[in-house]
Amino acid sequence: MIPAAVIGVGQTNYKAKRRDVSIAGLVREAIDKALLASDVEWDAIDAVILGKAPDMFEGVMMPELYLADAIGAVGKPVIRVHTAGSVGGSTAIIAASHVCSGKFDTVLTVTFEKQSESNATWALSPRYPYSPHINAGAGGYFAPFIREYIRRHNPPENIGWKVAVKDRINALKNPLAHLQILGIDEKMVSDSPMLWEPLRYLESCPSSDGACAMVIANKNLSNSRNAAWIKGMAVRSEGTLSAGRDEVNPQGGIDCAKDIYNQAGITNPRNEIDCAEIYVPFSWYEPMWLENLGFTDIGEGWKLTNEGLTELEGDLPINMSGGVLSSNPIGASGMIRFGEAALQVMGLAEDHQVKNAKVAMGHAYGGAAQFFSMWIVSSTKD
Amino acid sequence: MTKQETLKLQAPFELSYDYKRSSGPIMSKFFEALSKKKILGTKNASGKVFVPAAEFDPNTNEALTEFVEVESTGIIESWSWVANPKPHHLIQSAFAFVLIKFNGADTSMLHMVSECAESDLAKGVKVKPVWSSDPKEMILDIKYFVLEK
Repeated sequence: MIPAAVIGVGQTNYKAKRRDVSIAGLVREAIDKALLASDVEWDAIDAVILGKAPDMFEGVMMPELYLADAIGAVGKPVIRVHTAGSVGGSTAIIAASHVCSGKFDTVLTVTFEKQSESNATWALSPRYPYSPHINAGAGGYFAPFIREYIRRHNPPENIGWKVAVKDRINALKNPLAHLQILGIDEKMVSDSPMLWEPLRYLESCPSSDGACAMVIANKNLSNSRNAAWIKGMAVRSEGTLSAGRDEVNPQGGIDCAKDIYNQAGITNPRNEIDCAEIYVPFSWYEPMWLENLGFTDIGEGWKLTNEGLTELEGDLPINMSGGVLSSNPIGASGMIRFGEAALQVMGLAEDHQVKNAKVAMGHAYGGAAQFFSMWIVSSTKD
Repeated sequence: MTKQETLKLQAPFELSYDYKRSSGPIMSKFFEALSKKKILGTKNASGKVFVPAAEFDPNTNEALTEFVEVESTGIIESWSWVANPKPHHLIQSAFAFVLIKFNGADTSMLHMVSECAESDLAKGVKVKPVWSSDPKEMILDIKYFVLEK
């Protein structure tokens, strides 16, 4: 496999409503920043890999057609990726795979969502015939999984509140983050309205507009640059409602993590990974994924959160950027995780930088907790 | 029809949602200008004029920010005659969908030509807009085009 690295990450700011730009303008803003950060021109780009969550979110079917001009795809291969909420991660992996295979030397990859043009909960919960209409959206879908996690392991009820506070404190150190909640504390979270029991309003991700882009290149370009070398990457899938599936600790997530650790030669993720950006759209998913990803034993994830180990200054910082809980342009949210992991090992994460971060993980999940995409990036090639 | 087929269930599945569109700084100006009976294009570094205004040049990738006003008259580049409009069509008598290149533009725009016969249509035929009396900063601020005689 040909070594590949992220050589530049570009992100828009994340906001509830970017009414000042079109979808094309939003996507291009992230691309311009990624090209600038990579110090490459358009002619260096061999292909463009675009991802976003369901087209029904904005009502623009096949947006890669309308966006071909804005993403510089004219005369080049363009590939559209779609794996629900994990799409930002799987798009990065499709892009990197085309470099690792030798098919392309340098690819531009970009993901976006413009939630202000739409209503994701509506798009996720149409009134299907023969089914009761519960209008639950993602939070309503995941709440029972979270309830089951709590039933199995009996953690204190404030674990979710702690994650919600920790990620929003991190967001205050990331000027791009959507939610900037001064004075956030557990009381504020526990006083917020119950949305999908046991999830409260402030334990849930916002609806954001935003885009994230990366330039991924082989060693010809990456050797001479500050780069985040991709040491392992994988995707896994599960059925939506398969009998016997464990939604709390999905096998797909376990297998996907094992795969990237094997590729990267990691035997003890807790010790060997310096920090991770994992997909936590609802607070309790931090401890759930810490277990699923093998950072700790089953039933122990909430203890890492409880002891403050996942804080920016802790020994396993999680979601240093503020995470999905602070910014959620759905289609881009996975790529933001992957890109933020890259920024950490490149030493470019500014105020939310983890000191001496050399190895970082990017993680995303999507659908009914059924699509997983993950990668490990490192500050060194070898 | 077999018995098994007649037993299959069917139910209506209606899907509708009112999306919002943010047209951005370039297309917003184009639509604002339409409501004032003006046609705006954007110009790239080598002078090529895109009408309708484009945000990005598909060939050079440059972001297009320089506006130019072109004439509201133009020529037909291509057309498709609609002899028997259906209820969903915007014009209920025979008309043509056309690609119109405005005088001063290098690209063409999709719209409609009405009040003419199919035999009047040809590449290069001159057309002019019929403006709406109730402009809404939308493409239908031009109701349709007619032949410039």
